[in-house]
Amino acid sequence: MSKNYKYEMKPLFEERMRILLPDNKDFENYNKIIHTSPQSFLRCNTLKTSPNELLLHLERKGWMLSQPFPNHPEIMLVTSDIGPGELGNALEHQLGYYYIQEISSMLPVIALNPQPNDFVLDLCASPGSKTTQIAAAMQNQGTIIANDFKIDRISILVSNLERCGVTNTIVTRKDAIAFTSALSKYPLPKFDRILLDVPCSGEGTIRSSPKTLIQWNLKVIKKLSRQQKKFFAFVVKCLKKGGTLVYSTCTHAPEENEEVISFALENFPLKAETLSLPLKCRPGIREWKNDKFHKEVNKACRIYPQDNDSEGFFVSKFTLLEDIE
Amino acid sequence: MKFLNSKQKREIQKGIEETYGIPEIPYLLIEAGKQRLRAFSGNLTREEILELSKIANIEVIGMYLISQKDDDLRLNFDALPLFKSQITKRILEINKDQLALWMRGYDLDIKCERGIVVLKYQDELVGIGKSNTEKIFNYLPKERKLKTPLPSSQS
Repeated sequence: MSKNYKYEMKPLFEERMRILLPDNKDFENYNKIIHTSPQSFLRCNTLKTSPNELLLHLERKGWMLSQPFPNHPEIMLVTSDIGPGELGNALEHQLGYYYIQEISSMLPVIALNPQPNDFVLDLCASPGSKTTQIAAAMQNQGTIIANDFKIDRISILVSNLERCGVTNTIVTRKDAIAFTSALSKYPLPKFDRILLDVPCSGEGTIRSSPKTLIQWNLKVIKKLSRQQKKFFAFVVKCLKKGGTLVYSTCTHAPEENEEVISFALENFPLKAETLSLPLKCRPGIREWKNDKFHKEVNKACRIYPQDNDSEGFFVSKFTLLEDIE
Repeated sequence: MKFLNSKQKREIQKGIEETYGIPEIPYLLIEAGKQRLRAFSGNLTREEILELSKIANIEVIGMYLISQKDDDLRLNFDALPLFKSQITKRILEINKDQLALWMRGYDLDIKCERGIVVLKYQDELVGIGKSNTEKIFNYLPKERKLKTPLPSSQS
């Protein structure tokens, strides 16, 4: 492995990634791309403007953009060189016409496919990239409950919701487990869709946060995995029969991905759904170290940076087959 | 958390139509803090929202829409694009140099009728201010101000 990078992989991290990417060339491609900055993507905020209007505005400024996904014209790739901070300091950004969001982070909401008039829970909502994306898909109709725990994260969430003109969202502040535990007992409707985009070890975000490489720690992964299973076990009780739940992380660690959804498939009446996403996906893995996972985990989607010139992500989607009391 | 009743909403609606020409506010209006109203388009009932408030701290509902200050109904900057096609009154067109100043938080030395002014640049509504006939005072929220320096021709 080359030793010329500012931040290097810890040996255990490298060992794990080599197991996930057994082809040497594939691993080298991965190791090369994670030391480069990610591409700049925008998501047009269709609550305030249309993709065509936004394109006109931004091209008038001299920016060059492309719309790489014909079924998702709201997703735009900035192809011209733009100075640091320029994307966030443009008039159109301040007017809430777009959200700066990495392409892989848009996938959970594409998988969730929220509809106008749905009742949606975004359990770990801050900073709001996915909540604003859900609100846009719902055209500000229906209701979103966007929850987070820490007040400073709530402030960022609220600021982004305001900037994007989101009117159909209630922001709550509560520990996720206490909140979902109480929700399932109160006389409130169950949710049509739930986004469970959980706090994770962030292995997929190395391109934008290279320090993740030095902060990486297996103990943290194990702790997060336990917490993620708890989140899943509590939140699934708030989903209505036939409802959709998307579980996603920005990490490659199987303990936080397949192990969690395998636990869910084994313990709750869930059906794993096949995903159709606009990036190259690899299936979820069926075993890791000494653990074997539920056979349906291979319907999940692993996003690797070297496949799509993106960040790394994990997305999985479920339908609830029976009400859970 | 206090929901406006239909009489209170009618009064706000009337004021908004008189000031901006907006014929309808299709939202549930909620009082939030000092003289501030928030707009909620969701379909949870008031009763369900109150039930929710027993479970968790409700930090905000919907978006900040209007503030009531000095007998003015001031539309929030972030809400302007939502009413872009409906605002017909008090619109004042500004040029590129004035836009650059405005978006950095400067007042504009423009003479116009006293009261609320909706600023328009090209086809965009870019702010709400208040004129004393000699000057338009800038109400752009701090977090929406551009942090880049003024173009060199203006600085």
